[in-house]
Amino acid sequence: MEKTLAKKSFPQWVKALDSWTVYVPRKDDEGRWDFVRADGQETALDISQTTLPPKKILFPQREVFLEFRKTQAGNLETTEIKEVLPEVHPTVVIGARPCEARAAWLLDKVFGGEFQDIYYWKRREPTTLVGLACTPPPSDNCFCPSVEGSPHSEEGLDVLLTDLGDRYYVKSMTAKGEALISAAPKLFSEPSAEDQKRVKAAHAESEKQIKRQVKDARGISEKLKGMFDSPFWDEEAMSCLRCGICTYLCPSCHCFDINDEIETSSPLRGQRVRTWDTCQFPDFTMHSSGHNPRPDKASRLRQRLLHKFQYFVQVYGQIMCVGCGRCITLCPVGIDIIKVLDKVRQDGD
Amino acid sequence: MAKIDELKEEARKVLRDGTVKYIIGYGNGTNGWPAAPIFVKKPEDVDRFIWDPTCVHNLVRFLIDEKRRKARQKQPDKRPVGIFVKGCDSRAIVVLLQEKFIERSDVYILGVSCEKAGVVDAAKLSKKLAGKMPKRVELDDQNRFVVTTESGKIEAAADELLAERCRECPANFPVIYDVLSGEKVKRTPDKPYGSLEKIESLSAEERWTFWKAQLDKCIRCYACRSACPMCYCDECVVDSINLAVTADTTADEKAQRIRWVQRSAESSENFVYHLVRAMHLAGRCIDCGECERVCPLDIPLRFLNKKLEKEAKELFGYDVGFDASLPALISCFRDEDPQDFIR
Repeated sequence: MEKTLAKKSFPQWVKALDSWTVYVPRKDDEGRWDFVRADGQETALDISQTTLPPKKILFPQREVFLEFRKTQAGNLETTEIKEVLPEVHPTVVIGARPCEARAAWLLDKVFGGEFQDIYYWKRREPTTLVGLACTPPPSDNCFCPSVEGSPHSEEGLDVLLTDLGDRYYVKSMTAKGEALISAAPKLFSEPSAEDQKRVKAAHAESEKQIKRQVKDARGISEKLKGMFDSPFWDEEAMSCLRCGICTYLCPSCHCFDINDEIETSSPLRGQRVRTWDTCQFPDFTMHSSGHNPRPDKASRLRQRLLHKFQYFVQVYGQIMCVGCGRCITLCPVGIDIIKVLDKVRQDGD
Repeated sequence: MAKIDELKEEARKVLRDGTVKYIIGYGNGTNGWPAAPIFVKKPEDVDRFIWDPTCVHNLVRFLIDEKRRKARQKQPDKRPVGIFVKGCDSRAIVVLLQEKFIERSDVYILGVSCEKAGVVDAAKLSKKLAGKMPKRVELDDQNRFVVTTESGKIEAAADELLAERCRECPANFPVIYDVLSGEKVKRTPDKPYGSLEKIESLSAEERWTFWKAQLDKCIRCYACRSACPMCYCDECVVDSINLAVTADTTADEKAQRIRWVQRSAESSENFVYHLVRAMHLAGRCIDCGECERVCPLDIPLRFLNKKLEKEAKELFGYDVGFDASLPALISCFRDEDPQDFIR
């Protein structure tokens, strides 16, 4: 379904979605963008890249799996375990970037397939992703076309909005997306032939505006297979601080840890929780014996790169980087994934 | 702004002589920030070194890595490592020497004075550029910042973009060095703790509301800990596993290990993490501002550390990082130390 929506009607549309929990990007006083609950203050979508991608809505940093408690009555000790499943109200994320939706499409592969991750799907299924085509790209470090995405890619999205100046071109790809339009059908108009022409032109132009590029990502993927033991990683990781920025803020990184968090120990009461984890931390893949197969920062940087560009390609056939550029923009020491990949392409052996 | 030509000459010499293993300095950054840490091993690569107001990073952090690397090697190369330092960074070296974490012979210090200015504040600059990326930042003869972006040049008064810590810096030249570039310009800031005034004027409830909102943003990426030259513990209290686990540690021992801080990024746990870190930095933090700079969520961590620096000064007359021969604040006792907390 293809429609147009006048920008001045955008706030009314958001208001009309009162059967959904709506998230929109919002700038705070310090100029930092984040996806927050819509509160009726929305005007229109702006050019923005949120610090945290909308991954946090589908795969929150903390997820409770179960609650446990021990009770004692006389000599009888009993343990109660209660499964906790997320109960998620239908949700819409408006203004997700095509790369972020593509990341969700990749996460669907990880949490779907042979082993369905019920916690993920309890959130994913009721969530509708409304993307905003990147005209222009929100960051100088965007490089989605290099990793098989595009600034107007539809993968993972239910609706794609394209900014046409005074209105949005609205393309709905799924029934979930159409439900959003049906919530306020009067706000939408049929697109003219001119609109269709303009949306095509805007998309073509958006690709030209991407400034950065990884050449031959698939070739690099092949090359990486022979680089596990290369001293290259030691060199590249020299300046790495081992913080979690590149992975925690990545739309497609999805490693997690599971811990029992104890509230009180007598009587024993607590929760089993899943939290984000990252290959950059010293305890990542630490074995029970105390041995860690990834003992230093070089092997951790290598893990990040190989997971995205080699292992994921081997398992799922896709590159697990969507080219949003956050890890470049926000790295405290200027480690640049594009430059690292370029070195692999040029000198890797 | 100091020139570093003489330092480069010196760097070339010590690399050629083999007096140092390698030199940690600043080179051209990437599309995030103009300067980035680089590690130079060959004399011919010395020309990669740059010096400009975006050389914000405290490179002393990398001396911790170097120590760890040496500890893993069977026959470590014991030659010193060369390192470029600003005033604040040099004081981090002093603290590491006081705490005997490193020896003076481990480092060859190439000091650069910030002279009248200092470094730019990344947050202020990004606000000023409204999303555009700086390609280059220079300080002109009138002490004004000239910022080059893809769409042209922008000028700004030093005060507008200078990092807050530079405006409150007690000595913006290296206090310890082997070679020095630039003049030792002594500057007495009007308000050495000026940035604390606003938060100190708040009531306890208002401060709680402020910190709760700030620390609730924390995603515990630990960038603040990772960038800090003083956070060198082999085992950090917040890591979810005890790194002292060995092959002989029983399952019971592992299950019953004390977890001071849970992994969940929730209010209570975030408070514990940040307050533990702040307390561990009391009398040690040299106010390089790295924790605040690297925070992706813009949590004003410097307030915590600056407040404790002020306490150390007011209660004990202690200035952090000026004299490597003094014992560290928390490991010494003097008769005149205040005792009124003992009841």
